[in-house]
Amino acid sequence: MNVYGSNELARDVQQAGYCIGCGACVELCPYFRNHRGHTARLFACSLEQGRCHAHCPKTEVDLEELSSALYGEKYEGTPLGHYRSILAARATGKVAGPFQGGGTVSALATYALESKLIDAAILTGADGMRPVPQIVTDPDKVARCGSSRFTAAPTLSVMNQAVRQGMRRLGVVGTPCQMTAVAQMKQNPLGIEDFEDPVALTIGLFCNWALEHKQLAAYLANHLDLDSITGMDIPPPPAAVMVVKTHDTEHQFPLEEIRPLIPLSCFICPDMTSEWADVSVGMYEGRPGWNTLIVRSEAGAELVEGAVSNGWIETEAFPGDRLQELAKAALAKKERSFRNANRRGLLQEGENGARPAMKVPQEVLDRLLA
Amino acid sequence: MQTVRDGKAGDVRLMQGNEALARGALEAGVSVAAGYPGTPSSEIIENLAKAAKDSDLYVEFSTNEKVALEVAASGSFAELRSLAVMKQVGVNVAADFLLHLVLYGTRGGMVLASCEDPGGLSSTNEGDSRHYAKMMEFPLLEPGDFQEAKDMMRWAFELSEEIRNLVMVRSVTRLSHASGRVGLGNLPEKKERAHLNVEGPPIGQMEGPIGALPVTLNFMHGRQQGKMRKAAEIFEDSPYNTYTGPDNPELLIVTSSSAWLYCTEAVDLLNAGDRVGILKLGCTYPLPPKLVTKHLSTTDKVFIVEELLPFLEDNVKTLAAEMGAALGHKTFYGKKDGSLPSTGELNPDVVMGGLAKILDIEPDASLAKYSEELEQVVGQSVVARSLTFCAGCPHRASFWSLHNALELDGRYGFMCGDIGCYTMGISPAGFGTLKSVHAMGSGIGLASGFGQLGQFGLDRPVLAACGDSTFFHAAVPALINAVHHNAKLVMVVLDNSGTGMTGFQPHPGLTYDAMGKQATPVDVAKVCRAIGASVTISDPFDVKGTTDTLLDLLEQDSGVRVLILRQMCALSPEKKLKKMYEVAVDQSICLGEACGCNRLCTRVFKCPALIWDASAGKALVDEVLCAGCGVCASICPSGAITRKEVA
Repeated sequence: MNVYGSNELARDVQQAGYCIGCGACVELCPYFRNHRGHTARLFACSLEQGRCHAHCPKTEVDLEELSSALYGEKYEGTPLGHYRSILAARATGKVAGPFQGGGTVSALATYALESKLIDAAILTGADGMRPVPQIVTDPDKVARCGSSRFTAAPTLSVMNQAVRQGMRRLGVVGTPCQMTAVAQMKQNPLGIEDFEDPVALTIGLFCNWALEHKQLAAYLANHLDLDSITGMDIPPPPAAVMVVKTHDTEHQFPLEEIRPLIPLSCFICPDMTSEWADVSVGMYEGRPGWNTLIVRSEAGAELVEGAVSNGWIETEAFPGDRLQELAKAALAKKERSFRNANRRGLLQEGENGARPAMKVPQEVLDRLLA
Repeated sequence: MQTVRDGKAGDVRLMQGNEALARGALEAGVSVAAGYPGTPSSEIIENLAKAAKDSDLYVEFSTNEKVALEVAASGSFAELRSLAVMKQVGVNVAADFLLHLVLYGTRGGMVLASCEDPGGLSSTNEGDSRHYAKMMEFPLLEPGDFQEAKDMMRWAFELSEEIRNLVMVRSVTRLSHASGRVGLGNLPEKKERAHLNVEGPPIGQMEGPIGALPVTLNFMHGRQQGKMRKAAEIFEDSPYNTYTGPDNPELLIVTSSSAWLYCTEAVDLLNAGDRVGILKLGCTYPLPPKLVTKHLSTTDKVFIVEELLPFLEDNVKTLAAEMGAALGHKTFYGKKDGSLPSTGELNPDVVMGGLAKILDIEPDASLAKYSEELEQVVGQSVVARSLTFCAGCPHRASFWSLHNALELDGRYGFMCGDIGCYTMGISPAGFGTLKSVHAMGSGIGLASGFGQLGQFGLDRPVLAACGDSTFFHAAVPALINAVHHNAKLVMVVLDNSGTGMTGFQPHPGLTYDAMGKQATPVDVAKVCRAIGASVTISDPFDVKGTTDTLLDLLEQDSGVRVLILRQMCALSPEKKLKKMYEVAVDQSICLGEACGCNRLCTRVFKCPALIWDASAGKALVDEVLCAGCGVCASICPSGAITRKEVA
């Protein structure tokens, strides 16, 4: 990967409208800050290379490099990425709900803290409808973050904060873009000699798209009191609605009204299942109360084995027909996003040295876009 | 304390031009003086205020220049001698009343002193208020040196009483702010009493109601023009119009004000004294026709030397055309033919350039090198530094928070500003936060308009900035407008408890007046609330609190929200040299070049007291420059800047 500085980052990502506000560049220096979902660069910096640029999941992401570093293999563009096993999973009663899905993420994160696999968990809670990143060290407080607001959150800003405070052995729960950023960080792209990988475990979430907090807030404010929001959900097709729960009632908003709020950034993201995480967790369509669990790395396998044997989660085999459906959806996102990014000239290096958002092996691209 | 009162007739003192002007007014027995601070005019009122206690004199800094002219006019109407003082842009503010005033005329001698700033040394414009004399028909005097500044000011009151109208005395920066020898005259033994006669029919000059009505207008306008004819007659014999040079010069220079000094020097440097004559006019409007015609008849070539617009040039040409049958054809040099620039200050070099070309002389080559050498010498001894706020200035802290809040908000909010130290908010010193700068109060006026453009798709948050003095001067009507029309904006009052830029003159928000007497303070917050705006007050030195407050105000996104950022100017007399904190950089914590902050403190925040210790490669606080505000301690990401409260 080519690493540039904050000026290139500001130009290629923020100003070009591809910033998703994941927080990877925030809290590394005084210049990048996130306010209510919007990542701002306060002042220009004159350093030629910076971690802000190196970690950003929206510029100079070299998929081949990531694949070889994490899994020691070529990037093939398979629908679900590298994995060891795929399971159906759900939390046992050991961790208290209610959960958005099967509670698998909350159970895994709690177990990781309890068993000292990690010292702190980087999670995303919510204040009303606003996602609020948190550093959680108390296993009992993990489950409070167990719900989605479907808006991009600057979760990684608190990861950077934790690292600055000297914390290590972090567990990070995040979306595919955030997992990409962490995976890039793990490569120590600036080659600092005494660099120590602060992240011991990553739990990726499935994600098709996220919304911008301010835009969604502006939309919902026309229909309800934002402070009364207690939960949000997007039930599986064919529902085609976003459900917003408040203290006393439940509102349904057609997805066709929500979709225009999806930021540009999500349309160039090829990853639905957090391919660069140790484990990935998502909904299990058609089986409420259960999750899909993808085990990808050795650390991920250890985590899942420990969580099962210690009774935090239970697992079952994931049926082949569901797997096919999942792979189909993931592939569709991959193809769509590569196509979009390609059309915008964001793949590979441009003719006159233009910096790409992603680098994809040409044969993979040719195959997928054929 | 020495004041401009000190010294008796015959004494010679070194005086600043503005001191000389103030002394002239005292010698004339002025009773009422009012002005609004503005460089280069401010010292006239300040010097009179200092002398007020012993002089049977009322002096004030008024809310704005129009009010100052009105306050001064009340003195004249009560048959007292009165003076109004302002800078060039102030005359624009006062112009509305000025037109009415000069149409009716004055009773006690009344002078308007306008101190102007060719080249904009301390201004955002180089307005030329001489044109008001022609546009509104009143006499204009332009002193050429320090002695004349005093003498002509004194004489202006006599002239005003002779014609019963206002007389303008115009100075420029190089006269107002430079110093020279001035021979003093007597101060009158006086105890003037006000005498107001407003009874009787409305056409009397010295009695009856004051002012014109539609039915009396025609009469009064005619009377005003009669006064101008009388002034022109008086000017024919004025000792302030002088000629030096041969009887029949090859070239006649017609000049006025400090341009006269440049002409004298230029002629001297070119050794052209036997070829060039200089007609220096102290009375520049209306022109004394006989005097000017007499001198025009001595030559065929005329060079008119003045700063800024061709005011004198146009008037002399008009006169030459009127007298064309007797005078014949003349060749004129000046602004119109490009012999002189119409912008910026003149100086001997510029005049010499024009003169040498007209006379076809090759100037001594060593003279051209002079300015180069001067620049070299100056460049070696003075460190190049961009315009910036002083160490400890609350504006730097305010703009820091404003800039950051606007960036964090992320909706491309922009701020309209106006005139004051905070004008620098448009530059890197204020992090480029201001996006417009015009007249005093124009920030809020423009914002009031921008705040209505949502219907045309302008959905960027709109902010306005004004100082505390500016708030009273011109922001209030615009704020009322914004509230009344439900404009969507945030108005930030940068309240540093004084008219900071011009040197701490009082304003209506303070508890004392120009003479040091107790005054009733008018509360900005209460005024804003009464107008109907929401008001929040924050200390700009609390960077986090101020930024959060701004973010909340921005997010409210409706109505007029006023934020008062209140913190006394670092240079204010009450605060000067008193540090709140001892501030230091702990270089064992400062990461220096290695910090990811890329020198946030010295590259971006850039307080002059925060310096780069090149030998250590780390930041350092210059204890001498540091005003002890402690703001930098809250910006260092490593916490290397420490502050300790001073007991």
